[in-house]
Amino acid sequence: MSTTATRVIVTEDRSSAHLLRKSRREVDPVRPGQRARVRRETAAGYAFLTPWLIGFLGLTLVPMVYSLYLSFTRYNIFAPPKWIGLDNYIRLFTKDPVFLQSSEITLIYVFVGTPITLAAALGTAMLLNYRDKGSGFFRSAFYAPSLIGASVSIAIVWRAMFATDGPVDSGLQVFGIDLGGWIGNPSMVLPMMILLHVWTFGSTMVIFLAGLKQIPKELYEAAEMDGAGAWRRFRAVTIPMLSPVMFFNLLLGLIGAFQVFASAYIISNGSGGPAGMTNFITVYLYKRGFSDGQMGYAAAMAWVLLIVVALLAFILFRTQKSWVHYAGDDK
Amino acid sequence: MFKKRLAAGTALATAAVLLLAGCSGQAADPKAKATFDPKEKVTLNLAFWGNDVRADLYNQVIAEFNKKYPNIKVNSTFLGFPEFWEKRQTEAAGGGLPDVMQFDYSYLRQYSENGLLLDLDPYIGGIIDKKPLADNILKIGVVDDKTYAIPTSTNAWGLFTNPKLLETAGVSDFEGGSWSDYADWMKSVTDASGGAFYGGSDYTGRIQNFEIQLRSEGKNLFNEDGTAGFDEKRLAKFWNEGAAVRKGVGIPQQKVEELTPLGAFDSAKTASELTWDNFGAGYLKNLGADYTELNLVAPPVTKKGTKDLYLKPSMLHAISAKTKHPEAAATLVNFLINSPESGKIFGTNRGLPASSTALAAADLDPLSQQIKDYETSIKDRLGDAPPVPIVGYGSLEEKFRVLGTELNFGTITVDDAVKQFFAEMDVVLNQ
Amino acid sequence: MTSTTIAGDARPAVAPRRRIKRKTVQTVVWFIGLSILTVIVLYPLLWLFLATFKPNAEFGTNPGLFPNQPTVDNYGKVMEGIAGVPMWRFFLNSFILAVSAVVGTVLSSALAAYAFARVQFKGLGIFFAAMIGTLLLPFHVVIIPQYIIFNKLGWVDTFIPLILPKFLATSAFFVFLIVQFIRQMPRDMDEAARIDGAGHLRIFWSIILPLIKPALITCAIFAFIWEWNDFLSPLLYLTSPENYPLPIGLRLYNDASSGGADYGATVTASFVALIPILLFFIVFQRFLVDGVATQGLKG
Repeated sequence: MSTTATRVIVTEDRSSAHLLRKSRREVDPVRPGQRARVRRETAAGYAFLTPWLIGFLGLTLVPMVYSLYLSFTRYNIFAPPKWIGLDNYIRLFTKDPVFLQSSEITLIYVFVGTPITLAAALGTAMLLNYRDKGSGFFRSAFYAPSLIGASVSIAIVWRAMFATDGPVDSGLQVFGIDLGGWIGNPSMVLPMMILLHVWTFGSTMVIFLAGLKQIPKELYEAAEMDGAGAWRRFRAVTIPMLSPVMFFNLLLGLIGAFQVFASAYIISNGSGGPAGMTNFITVYLYKRGFSDGQMGYAAAMAWVLLIVVALLAFILFRTQKSWVHYAGDDK
Repeated sequence: MFKKRLAAGTALATAAVLLLAGCSGQAADPKAKATFDPKEKVTLNLAFWGNDVRADLYNQVIAEFNKKYPNIKVNSTFLGFPEFWEKRQTEAAGGGLPDVMQFDYSYLRQYSENGLLLDLDPYIGGIIDKKPLADNILKIGVVDDKTYAIPTSTNAWGLFTNPKLLETAGVSDFEGGSWSDYADWMKSVTDASGGAFYGGSDYTGRIQNFEIQLRSEGKNLFNEDGTAGFDEKRLAKFWNEGAAVRKGVGIPQQKVEELTPLGAFDSAKTASELTWDNFGAGYLKNLGADYTELNLVAPPVTKKGTKDLYLKPSMLHAISAKTKHPEAAATLVNFLINSPESGKIFGTNRGLPASSTALAAADLDPLSQQIKDYETSIKDRLGDAPPVPIVGYGSLEEKFRVLGTELNFGTITVDDAVKQFFAEMDVVLNQ
Repeated sequence: MTSTTIAGDARPAVAPRRRIKRKTVQTVVWFIGLSILTVIVLYPLLWLFLATFKPNAEFGTNPGLFPNQPTVDNYGKVMEGIAGVPMWRFFLNSFILAVSAVVGTVLSSALAAYAFARVQFKGLGIFFAAMIGTLLLPFHVVIIPQYIIFNKLGWVDTFIPLILPKFLATSAFFVFLIVQFIRQMPRDMDEAARIDGAGHLRIFWSIILPLIKPALITCAIFAFIWEWNDFLSPLLYLTSPENYPLPIGLRLYNDASSGGADYGATVTASFVALIPILLFFIVFQRFLVDGVATQGLKG
């Protein structure tokens, strides 16, 4: 494949996409059958798109609108929803210390857990990039946890491993470290959950690795000839060249972290953990909606979550111009 | 023109069908026994919560039931307690509750006030035998002057103590006294144990202890109209009482969290526990083969001579308002509650049988006998049952429990806890 | 950017052997380092596997890797199942759900991806952006209304709410993966077939589909694994134990109400539930890892 094509694909840079197409359409002037052809194309497109369209409208768009509506009501599934205006939102932010605490720990989990995960993933990817032979086995080994990390099985195992006098605790005691237990300890539960999140760094790592492999070796060689040391090379070559991948991983990583549910639910037996320390927003909203039967309130919480995530994505997309360097541009 | 006629005809036909459907649901005279054809083959759905043990007992009882009523087929399903209610909730919204249900006190008001349960008054004294059931038992399932459920068994609040641990500590059993006496007693056990176990847990974490204190003062936890029988100051006073216990006397919350899914008492980490008296069997099972008995004494006294305790239905039976076979369902309910067969088979699995005929037939193992004797011993303290719990009581009870754990962790002050609980009450009571 | 002087390449020509040896040493260190890291990362899995052989009583006392008195009793207990439902039933339910998810996902995602990648239709841009948008959408915003809808339709406690969305390509991850894959394909063959008079359906079926097999396989594997691990949806919609897939069945083991704590059985059940995924992974790892890499790069 031509370099142009590769670059286009790597960067999803539509400005050079036109180089790919054979511009056959440019060659043909507007011909009589054109409009019919467009109509046929549109019909075909929608035909293929039908299942997705039904899913999008029926299971995504309509529910979203309905959930927005519900967030302004009091609804407990027995009786029809009752309109109460902004009351749910007001209650969330002024009368619900549990929500505030839940937001706090969710934010900590997301904004502490994700960078750590990214750092671990990048570090390991760089390690693996050192040498191709033999790294395949390790790559698979590190990838495996990400497949099962969100499963109930692992939540159960994690709880067992971090029990007082369990493997982790005993291991630490060998080094003379006593953290006062993990599971029942309100101060250590959140770190334990973050550790679980970091443990699933495998897929992020694989993406970093692929990104690393794409960096032309010439750039490194040129930098080395300029006398750049390892750290300088990292800063000047690796980071900029990796920034699209970093953007991707950061975006999806942050958003994924916001949706933690199964592990928190299982580890805390559905209670939201000691002193509410595993009561992430998703857990709290599930409890409010399905255990307490306050579905309007839960819907309001979900929308707050959505707005926060949307804002985050928006900020990331906006600022990417300043720090993400697409290979299409010349240095 | 033709279209209009077609539409009108359809509308008429639909109306007719609906009318007929509505009419056929009325029973003629339920008081008369067997207005339904006893030979008619009927299938009933029965749902209960519990575990394998209880499921097996139910199967046995149903087999006995079928000996008497071979034409009534019973399909039973069961779930764990939380899942049971999640499922009932969805069925309620979709209109498909099971014919006969094991029911919980805290949901009774919500379901009956939403018209989901059948009014049982027409059947009591007829298909449902009234004689073995005491008046105050029958009153328990009454909401807004109609009977919607009948208790299968009752239990009362009691204090279990662990004889083995007490022996190890060299402390004699709690002789009764005030709440502060109890706290002192717990302290003596904790001190004597050398850190191996604790005298008990923070009793202010359980809303029922608050309730019996209020009842001593002549108040209810929640009144029939949904108002609370206490104010912020009273609640703060209660939780402050627990401060002494939380400081080094009761088991630390962290230890409790680590023990889940077991509790502190059934892991032999505490020597006493205030709870419903039918929890005894579960405790014995979890404590293991070493344990053959537990002690059961009356809870601390708030004010001498008051009737602070009451018989709570451990569970009830109710019938779906939309059942197609109300008489057959009532027959099943009667069998489950009153029959000697049921009493014999269930024993005290659901609590101490409320029906005298069932109780008489029940083979009481030592623990059950102990519970029966206990309930006799507290007769003087037994007052009328409180009003049926308000809608949302379950959420409040859970909130109380969670606040209790946070108080025990020390992550929240009493004042904050009170504020949170009242905020929660505000939401729940205004549903 | 480039400096004018070339950094003094004053490395002595002597001792090429030492250079080689340094490289070897580096490699060995690298190997050892990675191995240690691997042990740490895989420790939980190793612990889980060995824990399945620990008798129940040892769980409080022996936190180490190896059981003091290894036993296979746990496996027997696990096979009996819980709440009156045998283990194989949970497996069967998970299997049915996962296979249905694979079929539905691959079918609907391929169809949608073809439309996005190869068909010039009005509104493509908007819908494509919308699809990408759903990647970022927190699922919890829609669970309550979806639940209400399915409840009104009477589909609670059936598999329908779990399977139907898969046939409607609701997971943008797969659509996006296939779109990117299709975009890589040169259009020559499309054009050739077009000239021969083939319509879109023909092109899709005979040309594109065979070419994107690797992407489809990747999708199939991910769809299987994700569905196998899915906890929230079964938790919401399935209330009868006979219908529970493994994750919810496992939760029963973890739960107090089913009679006390049998850690041995709980841990063993957890391991048994993981076996299919681990097997899948070992056999198909190439596809998985490559698939993930493709996603991230071409995003």
